[in-house]
Amino acid sequence: METPTRTGRLGRFFTGFGSLFHGLAVTSRHFGRTIFLRKNVTQQYPHEKPTLPKAYRSAIRLIRFPETDSHDCVGCKACERICPSACIAVDGGKVEGIKKKRASHFEMDFALCSLCGLCLDVCPTTTLEYSRLYDEAGYNRNWKHDLLAEFRAREPAFIAEQRQREQAEAEAKAQKAPKKEKPPKEGDAP
Amino acid sequence: MSDEPRGASSDPEADPTHPEAYVLNMGPQHPSMHGVLRLKLHMIGEEIVVAEPVIGYAHRAHEKMAENRNYLMFLPNSSRIDYLSGMIYNIGYCQAVEKLLEIEVPERAQYIRVIACELNRIASHLLWIGTYVLDIGGVTPFLYCWDDREQILDLLDAITGSRLTYSYGRFGGVTMDVDDAFLTGTRTFLERMKSRLPEYDTLVRKNVIFIERSRGVGIMDRQTCRAYGVTGPCLRAAGVAYDVRKSEPYGIYDRFDFAVPTESAGDCLARYDVRIREIEESLKIVTQAVRDLPAGPIMPDKPKKKFKPAEGASYFAVEAARGAFGMYLVSDGSEVPFKLKLRTPSFSNLSSMPKVLAGTMVADTIAIVGSLDIVLPEIDR
Amino acid sequence: MSPPETLVDKLDSPWLGVVLGVAAVLGMLTVNVLFLVWLERKVSAWIQRRMGPTEVGPFGLFQTLADMLKLLSKQLITPRHVDKPLYHLAPLVVFVPVVAAASLFPFSAGLVLQDLDIGLVLVFAFGGLAFVGIFMAGWGSNNKYALLGAMRSVAQNISYEIPLILASLSVVLMSGTMNLAKITALQSERGYWFIVLQPVAAVIYFIAALAETNRAPFDIPEAESELVAGFHTEYSGMRFALFFFAEYSNVFIVSMVATVLFLGGWSGPLLPGPVWFFLKVYALVGLTMWVRWTFPRLRFDQLMSFCWVVLTPLAILNLLITAFVARLV
Repeated sequence: METPTRTGRLGRFFTGFGSLFHGLAVTSRHFGRTIFLRKNVTQQYPHEKPTLPKAYRSAIRLIRFPETDSHDCVGCKACERICPSACIAVDGGKVEGIKKKRASHFEMDFALCSLCGLCLDVCPTTTLEYSRLYDEAGYNRNWKHDLLAEFRAREPAFIAEQRQREQAEAEAKAQKAPKKEKPPKEGDAP
Repeated sequence: MSDEPRGASSDPEADPTHPEAYVLNMGPQHPSMHGVLRLKLHMIGEEIVVAEPVIGYAHRAHEKMAENRNYLMFLPNSSRIDYLSGMIYNIGYCQAVEKLLEIEVPERAQYIRVIACELNRIASHLLWIGTYVLDIGGVTPFLYCWDDREQILDLLDAITGSRLTYSYGRFGGVTMDVDDAFLTGTRTFLERMKSRLPEYDTLVRKNVIFIERSRGVGIMDRQTCRAYGVTGPCLRAAGVAYDVRKSEPYGIYDRFDFAVPTESAGDCLARYDVRIREIEESLKIVTQAVRDLPAGPIMPDKPKKKFKPAEGASYFAVEAARGAFGMYLVSDGSEVPFKLKLRTPSFSNLSSMPKVLAGTMVADTIAIVGSLDIVLPEIDR
Repeated sequence: MSPPETLVDKLDSPWLGVVLGVAAVLGMLTVNVLFLVWLERKVSAWIQRRMGPTEVGPFGLFQTLADMLKLLSKQLITPRHVDKPLYHLAPLVVFVPVVAAASLFPFSAGLVLQDLDIGLVLVFAFGGLAFVGIFMAGWGSNNKYALLGAMRSVAQNISYEIPLILASLSVVLMSGTMNLAKITALQSERGYWFIVLQPVAAVIYFIAALAETNRAPFDIPEAESELVAGFHTEYSGMRFALFFFAEYSNVFIVSMVATVLFLGGWSGPLLPGPVWFFLKVYALVGLTMWVRWTFPRLRFDQLMSFCWVVLTPLAILNLLITAFVARLV
């Protein structure tokens, strides 16, 4: 086809005609690969579930840390401020009895989230992670999720434990206080 | 089947007020129109006299949004400007802000960015090949391209967690490091493409129907390209070796050995050839980048938390899959950009359409518009 | 050779014969079209490394049946600005000739509904009638895309009918009859198929038949990327289904004609006649599918020039040579 002057009209006609058969050969090869070798490339979705990559981004959730068996959100609103879609609503603050601040409200609108991950970047306590949801759908415009829901029941227990932890910490600190001149490496034993 | 070019018409009948002229409205709801473009075609019979692209159906006010949020918050928008080569736009925006803020990017992050961007470029070009052949009626090559593209999307999914609208870049680096599985996967993909490209050559490029449908169709010569600011593969198909990666190297592109493929005909066939050869060049770049990938951090040691550039302005351009994508950032010294002007390639490329489409047949319209590789959200922004 | 007794002759009442005949042909066509659509979807899927329909029935065999039921139960929408009589009549005008043409074929020795001496002419005549319906649909829809599609369709089909008929005529010249059953019997008698003597005519016939049935790479009248859906853009529900049915029946019919003319119809060793007949027809249909899912589409002017510059002269030349040789032999 590239040198029409050489081959002339008839030659071009036959090259063109031949090219059609080369094309047919390619498709027949693929046909054979699918029908005989069963190498189809599609995934039969509802029957086969996709394997999600490690980095898969989905709607965010709060991490349940094994040490405390709860999240570590302090309700600082950093994620709420950075969120470009304004889909996070956080509230929180001082809790009676413990020094640590706690989130009292963490609501997220999955329908608005654009999965950019900026909230994960700014979170000071790194308590946010991506969930593994991939087949969620919202049925109305208010598709709000209360991310604290699964932690609510344990919250009083957590506060009690936290109070103990803080007391233990304070005691340890008090013991350490006289030996203030010592290098800071020592102590800190759990 | 005449061999003469079907370019601008000098037909005396080329007059929209001709008694036989009628208007055919193509799009925004047309099964194969690319995105939500509307073409108002004044026609006589099947020949187009005047073509009028109408845009704005996917306008999302990206530029205005940039003025209402801080630099970081605009990040997810960047890859949504052009969702088919979102990585290049995303990384490009990061680089523009880094230039304004004078942030140093670690070596490893630079290489990862190049790998990700070039893979994205290949994916975008593969998609174009598929849709272009689909535009002229071939369905099967489209799915083969889709299959190859899927491999890239899987690779990028593994490191970014998204398939199209990656928010992968951050000011100073990238969000996630690449692991060995990704590098092995990339090498496998590079191997795979070696056997796939000849297949496209036989199935598509050598096919006589494909050649007849593409050669001499939708000619854009150098002059037209210059006049309308056409960039990218369309410009290179007209014989101008302009590629931002070569002419104004950004990032670490000056370290790689690659060519800028050009063709002289400026027709749809030339645009196809240029894109296929660009895939080959991108494969070369990825091979080199994977080979040379240094160890090290992917973000600066002390990443900035607040991004507050000094008063001033900067222009930064990258070579996106469709042409030169430029960002003009004006800062008034606050955390929010004063103005972000996006120079998107498809907009300029599309603006040449009235000239190119005049005098062609309606059957070629979609093929010619498709051969530009326009992405409507990128035009409307 | 005594003319074989046809099925209609065996019945007492001619009217009962007509009703039963139409029912039989319709049933045969429906089953075949449903299977054909399923096959098309499967073949395209396999070529494209996919699975195709898998859910409804074994291997998704009942998928098209389900689709047909869906189309039957859909609301019939009549757009406001259509030319009502033409718009409503068009699907029937396209559909009926197809059924009529399908009743002319000999599926096996003696298994023929209407054994006419002008069978071949009638098949092409019915084929030509359908384009009136297509143009009615395009004009009556009052839609620019539909009109463009219909105009292309009519121009294309009238043009390609010429090489199609010329290619068939070379077989007629050799066999000396237009009776489809007799042409088949003749090939069976002589022990070879006419494709051996008429390879050029067979190729011309195949290409022209692709264009005649609007199959890719000649599917220009309904070129999706240009004309939305061509002449049936404004049709929905069962009206659309009738066009669809007619289109696939046409593919089936031109394959049947090709089988009779070039591949010896029902003749073949061991297996019974109808099995051979349908095997050959489906081989041809498979070939058209393979072609469809491989090639891009020609442009309209290229299509026309291919017909008038290449195909028609070649067919005329082939016919002249055949006539000359037939005279000598």
